[in-house]
Amino acid sequence: MTTIRRFCCNDLLGFASVNLDHLTETFNMSFYMTYLARWPDYFHVAEAPGHRIMGYIMGKVEGQGESWHGHVTAVTVAVEYRRQQLAKKLMHVLEDISDKIDKAYFVDLFVRASNTPAIKMYVKLGYVIYRRVLRYYSGEEDGLDMRKALSRDIEKKSIVPLKRPVTPDELEYD
Amino acid sequence: MTSKFGMAGGIPERRVRPIWDAIDSRQFKAALKLSTALLAKCPNSPYALALKALILERMGKPDEALSSCLNARERLYSDEAIPIDDLTLSTLQIVFQRLDRLDLATSCYENACGKFPNNLELMMGLFNCYVREYSFVKQQQTAIKMYKVVGEERFLLWAVCSIQLQVSCGDGGDKLIVLAEGLLKKHVASHSLHEPEALLVYISILEQQAKYGAAIEILSGKLGSLIAIEVDRLRMQGRLLARMCDYAAAAEIFQKVLESCPDDWECFLNYIGCLLEDDSSWSGGTIKDQIYPPKSADCKLSHLPDEVFDSRLSKASCFVQKLQEEANNDSMRCPYLATLEIERRKHLYGKGDGVKIKEALLNYFCRFGHLPCFTTDVGMFLELLSDDERIEFLEKIKRSCDSSSVPIKALGQSITIFKLQGLFGTMFKLPIAELERTAVQMTKMYCKNLPLSKDLDPQENMHGEELLSMACNILVQLFWRTRNIGYLLESIMVLEFGLTIRRYVWQYKILLVHLYSLLNALPLAHEWYKTLEIKNILLETVSHQILPQILMSPLWVDLADLLKDYLKFMDDHLRESADLTFLAYRHRNYSKVIEFVQFKERLEHSNQYLMARLEAPILQLKQKAHNIEEIECILESLSSGVHLLDLSNNDRCKSLTFNEDMQSRPWWTPTPDINYLLGPFEGGSCCLKTDLGQLTKEKEANAGKIFERRSLLPRMIYLSIKCASSLKENIEANGSMPDNKSSSELKSLLERYAKSLGFPFRDALEEIVAIAEGRKFREVFNLEMVDWMNFAVFLNAWNLGSHELELPDREGCLPNMWQIVDSMIERNILGKLRSLEPVIRSRGSDLTVLLLIVTEPLAWHSLVVQSCVRSMLPPGRKKKKSGPADQLNSVLSQVVRGSIQTMHGVIEEVSKWLREQIIRPEDENLDMLLTPVQRKGLIEGPGQVLQILEALASTSDLEIGHRISQAVKSWSLLDVARKIYASQCSVFSEFLQICESKLKLLQALKQQL
Repeated sequence: MTTIRRFCCNDLLGFASVNLDHLTETFNMSFYMTYLARWPDYFHVAEAPGHRIMGYIMGKVEGQGESWHGHVTAVTVAVEYRRQQLAKKLMHVLEDISDKIDKAYFVDLFVRASNTPAIKMYVKLGYVIYRRVLRYYSGEEDGLDMRKALSRDIEKKSIVPLKRPVTPDELEYD
Repeated sequence: MTSKFGMAGGIPERRVRPIWDAIDSRQFKAALKLSTALLAKCPNSPYALALKALILERMGKPDEALSSCLNARERLYSDEAIPIDDLTLSTLQIVFQRLDRLDLATSCYENACGKFPNNLELMMGLFNCYVREYSFVKQQQTAIKMYKVVGEERFLLWAVCSIQLQVSCGDGGDKLIVLAEGLLKKHVASHSLHEPEALLVYISILEQQAKYGAAIEILSGKLGSLIAIEVDRLRMQGRLLARMCDYAAAAEIFQKVLESCPDDWECFLNYIGCLLEDDSSWSGGTIKDQIYPPKSADCKLSHLPDEVFDSRLSKASCFVQKLQEEANNDSMRCPYLATLEIERRKHLYGKGDGVKIKEALLNYFCRFGHLPCFTTDVGMFLELLSDDERIEFLEKIKRSCDSSSVPIKALGQSITIFKLQGLFGTMFKLPIAELERTAVQMTKMYCKNLPLSKDLDPQENMHGEELLSMACNILVQLFWRTRNIGYLLESIMVLEFGLTIRRYVWQYKILLVHLYSLLNALPLAHEWYKTLEIKNILLETVSHQILPQILMSPLWVDLADLLKDYLKFMDDHLRESADLTFLAYRHRNYSKVIEFVQFKERLEHSNQYLMARLEAPILQLKQKAHNIEEIECILESLSSGVHLLDLSNNDRCKSLTFNEDMQSRPWWTPTPDINYLLGPFEGGSCCLKTDLGQLTKEKEANAGKIFERRSLLPRMIYLSIKCASSLKENIEANGSMPDNKSSSELKSLLERYAKSLGFPFRDALEEIVAIAEGRKFREVFNLEMVDWMNFAVFLNAWNLGSHELELPDREGCLPNMWQIVDSMIERNILGKLRSLEPVIRSRGSDLTVLLLIVTEPLAWHSLVVQSCVRSMLPPGRKKKKSGPADQLNSVLSQVVRGSIQTMHGVIEEVSKWLREQIIRPEDENLDMLLTPVQRKGLIEGPGQVLQILEALASTSDLEIGHRISQAVKSWSLLDVARKIYASQCSVFSEFLQICESKLKLLQALKQQL
């Protein structure tokens, strides 16, 4: 029962029950609002009856040439609405926009190397581990850069895994 | 204009670069040195001056920074030969903004644009300045100029947005919208539109004027292709058609959307609304602005003739049937809930069929009953059932549960059944023993199902976690009904146990925050709250879980921290919001421009924010009330209370917003000012009748008054001190009692204060006398008593200055205001003290009132006394001349001495009680705490649930997996009890410290007289 629509400022006041979850980061205001101001099409919320927030996805599109890609910054679902494939639906929205509107080559995301449940889910959604980023999370935990090729990348060049891990300062984008 | 390559602000870049590098690496001293050297070479360069100002500001020297900026500005203004570029201006702008002088930044840009009228870069800078100042009209004028210079679509849209802002957030009339439409129309005719967001703005301009037809025409034309996502365009089209009342066409469009998004519930509601020609969702359209949407979807009774109604609904049924058949996955709930909505519409039309509704509910349960969201999904449909039907429905679904189904699914269904019982209020009707059995059953179910979660990652939610919250809720209810504190302790232990197994469950933590608050163990409540890591915007929506309790506690350090963090977040956002709005302009996301400005206004008017702005300084005043000199310093920094008074003088107070997320609060305290557990049970009727929306409305209606009362406080304190201290001078001047300015202002504030309490001034006076004489008994427990006492204290201070108080004359004697205040203090404090139970079992609210009386009315009264004493005994004058003043002094010193005596006496009593609680041996307290829940082999009363959990902790059940069994082993009931005891003790110690500081002050005052 998912009405998926653009995220708006007032949703920031309604997402407490989603963000109280310890794995969901509550960013500072300028972070959310910069995403809203620059990439409103990449910030969507899923609503249940009674306008309850089920979850949301935020992301952006960036890069040059064949690195032009959609990026998932955060995707999260409230406990009440888990195990209903909602994250999958939200990811599809972002992939669709990257693919059809912005004609990006791939979509990527970062995940904690220890977050096995999330990694499993992304693999199910067609993402592959492209590379490992050493000590990406607060200089402590490694991150995995996972990617999924879009229709524009016919030969799937963007997702050929790198052989060696990289350090955060080697990353092209933040 | 020089912006040549290699030049920065007219200075070769190689000279400027090292300064920037030093600033970036925060080497401000080095930067300042370099900048001084640069200024020696280019003494007239505004850019060099701006750089220096920037460094000075970062070094924390705002005055010097401002003077350097003003110097630069002066050069820019006066010297025609000096080059002006955006770099210099934007650097100045940064510093001016940090110095809170946006007006000066704007004036620099205005001047520059005057000199170089067609320079786009400078005009953009100027536009940005106006965005920061929320000067919508000037924004519009500047944008139009830019549009005229280059003819770009974006500048036209900047102007149009500025117009929309004048209408929605400023005082611009609707006529302006016509102007906006005209501008767009002309541009479209000659240049068309190229940005999807531009089209959205165009459509919204037309929609605002109810020109739906024109909007549809544009959307269906060539421009429509700008909306790249087909369903988005269709949704807009549907909305416009519905607004135009072309329901048939709208329904068709929504049907199309549903064909591609069959799970879109909102769209289904639109679809069926259009079929039944129901305009309720289109007329208001403010649902999105509410945090608490209406419980049931708004809809009107259909006016359609019978047969039309039937045929429309059968059409809907067929369509829904088709959607169900095509549904290709198990998680699509909308087509099934749609069946229920169709039945609901029939019911509203008077053609409802109870059997069918129950059947549809049962079907929905069979499909989705195991999901945690089942109860919220069907909430509004359950309201259609009568009490008997509900019971029947519960029986039916219990029977329908398939015990052979997958364990996780069966568990989910059982949880749902418990939840439904809670929702129907059936739990309130169960006998105590049955209720206990239910809690036991839930706990057993939790334990039994632990093996299902043994392989889960510790970060993942475990199956059946809700069972412990539910068991806790039942135990709390048992406490409410029986007043047996054992249940309350047990409810805490259940959650603590759950958190021992998995420490991330925020639902448990929130319950604990409230339970510990209730039990006077506020530091523990705060500790759990802190583990929720509430930050950023959650400070606005979640703080209410702890802030109101801390606000009324002696934990002043924690309170100061909470307020500081919250205010910092809000102030930072309000400061940076305009820059983000400009970012939206730059990236051509015009709809976000309007949204950002409206959101900023919403936060600016937040009740919680405005209250925090009042409470932070009031806290300072409370903390220093024992020292009148320090209070005077604080008041001076608050412009003698005038700033805070202004907060309630302007329109803010009338349009307060409430952004708290109340839905996560426990059932027994749905809003911060309600706690059912403090009142009698009476069948639980009080919490069944009210719904959150209703409660929130009541709270909001009251908020303005409370806000006004608090805003008056600092100013009244200031004036009271003045009235009390100017006494002497006035008398000495001419031997009479002149009515001075302070006292007349205080009188008008007292009138406002009385009004906010719901009384005209004169009636409030009578009320006070009646309370003081014990003729009128106000529940001491009532927090409003504190407000009344504050009123009496300030009234007395005012009377000191004016003596015009004409109290109702009874038997020829005027009651003395001093006596009234003393008697109120004595009566209320001692009364409260006598009713308190021993520490470990007393409830938080009892102590709250006591503490508030001591830290507010008594503290303010002690300030009045300090002021009196000071004026009676001026420093350096030991011998007093005799005269009218002295006669008065002797009368006054008598009453003052009496007042000091009273305050000293009651605070001593309070301290004595507090000390008794603290020094009681720990063992004795722990015994008292644990005895009710630790009876061996108990089969009734509190402790049964705990027994199950303790049994789990002591067995080494391998089935629950290594991680869970290890966690369970670390469980210790005694440790939790000790923590509770220590936490309570620390609250009492803090309170005792406050009392001791007051005693010290009163002792000193005594000696002075």
